[in-house]
Amino acid sequence: MRPALVIGYGSPIRGDDAIGPLVADRLQQQQLPDGVRVEARHILTAELAAELAEVAQVIFLDAAVDLPPGELRIQPLAPDTSALSTMAHFHDPRELLAWCQGLYGRVPEAWLITAGGADFDYGHFHLSEAAEHAATRMIQSVLDMLALKNLG
Amino acid sequence: MSRTITIEPVTRIEGHARISLQLADTGEVEDARFHLTQFRGFEKFCEGRPYREMPALTARTCGICPVSHLLASNKACDDLLAVSIPPTAEKLRRVMNLAQLVQSHALSFFHLSSPDLLLGWDADPKSRNIFGVMQQQPELAKDGIRLRQIGQTIIEILGGKKIHPTWVVPGGVSEALSQDKRDAMQAMLPEALEIAKRTYATFKALLPKFKDEASHFGTLPTLFLSLVSETGQLEHCTGVLRVKDAKGRIIEDKVPPRDYRRLIGEAVEDFSYMKFPYYKPMGYPRGIYRVGPLARLNNADSCGTPYADVALAEFRTLQEESGPVASSFHYHYARLVEIIYAIERMQRILKEPDILDTRVRAHARGNRQEGIGVSEAPRGTLMHHYKIDENGLITWVDLIIATGHNNLAMNRSIKQVADAYVDGTQLNEGMLNRVEAVIRCYDPCLSCASHAYGKMPLVIELQDAQGEVIDRLVRD
Repeated sequence: MRPALVIGYGSPIRGDDAIGPLVADRLQQQQLPDGVRVEARHILTAELAAELAEVAQVIFLDAAVDLPPGELRIQPLAPDTSALSTMAHFHDPRELLAWCQGLYGRVPEAWLITAGGADFDYGHFHLSEAAEHAATRMIQSVLDMLALKNLG
Repeated sequence: MSRTITIEPVTRIEGHARISLQLADTGEVEDARFHLTQFRGFEKFCEGRPYREMPALTARTCGICPVSHLLASNKACDDLLAVSIPPTAEKLRRVMNLAQLVQSHALSFFHLSSPDLLLGWDADPKSRNIFGVMQQQPELAKDGIRLRQIGQTIIEILGGKKIHPTWVVPGGVSEALSQDKRDAMQAMLPEALEIAKRTYATFKALLPKFKDEASHFGTLPTLFLSLVSETGQLEHCTGVLRVKDAKGRIIEDKVPPRDYRRLIGEAVEDFSYMKFPYYKPMGYPRGIYRVGPLARLNNADSCGTPYADVALAEFRTLQEESGPVASSFHYHYARLVEIIYAIERMQRILKEPDILDTRVRAHARGNRQEGIGVSEAPRGTLMHHYKIDENGLITWVDLIIATGHNNLAMNRSIKQVADAYVDGTQLNEGMLNRVEAVIRCYDPCLSCASHAYGKMPLVIELQDAQGEVIDRLVRD
C-alpha cells in the first residue's frame, strides 16, 4: 500500500482558488518520503475513490472562503454519505471517502488543509499576497504531516 | 387559475438549471421551460488574449470535458495556422478524445443515470443516488469507477495530467508517444472492453422495464446533426457534417466544418442564458435538431469496429418503424454503444505501426485571421470559432456547445414528459424526477453551455396565472 497521496484541487483561472493545485505542483519539486504521490487537480472526480482505497493517508489541499485571507486550517476528515454532491462534476472529499468505504471496504487516514483566499475572480492567474504566504505554510504543513507519518 | 411548477436546481447534471412547468386551470401542462440561470461569459473574457492561450483557457470551461474543448480549440488554432497536422498527431489526438468519451459516458451512465435506471424513478430520493446503487449493485458501481479510471489514466498517459492536459497544441501534439506509454494503454483496454460489454448486456436486459419512459422521454420528430467520416462512419475527431431529418433522410452531407454557419443559427430567449441553436434553412424554432450519441449513431452508416457494429444493429431495432431512433431515452443506450466503439477504436489505433512516429507537430505562425474547429464532444458537436487581429490577439469568439445544440429538444422533451407524468393537482417525487430524468438523458453540461460553473440544488415552484409563487419544493 502506498504511504500517502496528496491531492491539491481548485481552478487555476480563479485567483486564490488555485492554491491547492499550485501547492501540489510545488510539492512535486520537493524531496518527499518514498512512495508519496502528489496530484494537482481542477476538481475531485469519482475515480479518485479507487486511488484512496490504496493509500494509508490522504491529504487534500483546498482554498476556503470561510477563513480570513491567508489563514490555514487543518482538519481530519471522515466518510460522510450526506456530503453527496448534487452534481457529479465535483465531489466533496468526505463524499469520496464514503465512496471508498462503500466500494472497497476501507478508508485512509484523511486530512483537509484549507487556506483562506482573498480573490476568486474569473480570469485571474496569480495568488494574492495573503494566499501566497499561506501556500508556503501549507507546503510546510504537508511536509510535517508526511514526516510524522513516516516516523510512525 | 393556471399555475407553474418550477424544479430547481435539476440534480445529477453538470451545471445549474431550473425547470418550470406552467399549468392550466385543469391541471394539464400548458408550457415547460428549461432555464439556465448562470452566466460566465467565456466568449467575452477571452477577447484580447493571444490565440495560443485559447486551448488552455477554454479547457477551463469544464472539469468533465476539458479534452473536448482542448481538441476543438486546437483545431480552430490549426485553422488559424492554416496547417494540416501530421497523421500520427491526428491519431494521438483521436485516442485522447476517445478516452475522454469513455470516462465521460461512464460518469453519465454509472453515476448520474444508474440511480434512476436501477432503483427506479419512484424510489425514495434519499437512497436514489450513487450510494443506493453501491448497496444494491456494488460490482456495477465498481465497474463505473474502473472505466472512468481507465479513460482518465489514458488521458494522463498522453497528456501528463488527468484534468486539463496541455499536450495537444496548435499544429499537433507536443510529444511523440513512447513504446512504454503505448504498451501501458494497450494493457488496460481488454479489461475496459469486458466492462463495457458486460454493462451493455446488463442495460439491454433492463430495457423492457422502461417501455413507458422510452415512449415519453423526448420521442420527437427532430433533425440529427453530427460529424461523420468522409465515408459516412461514426466519427468524433475529423470528418464532415451530416444532417438527417426525422424520417432518416440525409438532407445535408459532406459539409465542411468551416461552413457550419450555413447550417446553424442561434436564437436567444429571455428565460435562459443558454442559446437556442437551430437548423438555419428551416428557421427558428422549426429547425430543431439533436446532437450527441443518439444523433451520431442515427447519422452514421456504421461504426467500423466489430462489437460496436453488432450493438449498432441492435440499437437500430429500438425504433419500431423505419427511420432514426427517436426517443431521447435511448441516449443511454447510444452511450454504451459508443463506449464499446471507443475502446475498440483505441485498440486498433494503438496497433498501427506509425503510432510511435516522432513527426507529430506542424509549426507555423498565424496565417489566417479566422479559425474554426469542430469535434464531437461526449455530449455532441462542439464548435470553436475565433477571429484574431494582426498581432494574433483574439477579437471575437463564438463557442457552440453540445448542450446548447440540444436546448430546443430538451425543452420539448420536458413538455412531453410533463404531459405524460405531471398532474398538477398531485405533486410527487416520482413524476418530478421523470421530468428531471429526461434532461439527464441528454447528459447536459451546463457549465459548458453557459460557460458557467456552479452547484446544482433543485427547486420546484408552482405559479398562478399572475406569476405568483403558490408552492415551492426545494432539494439540496
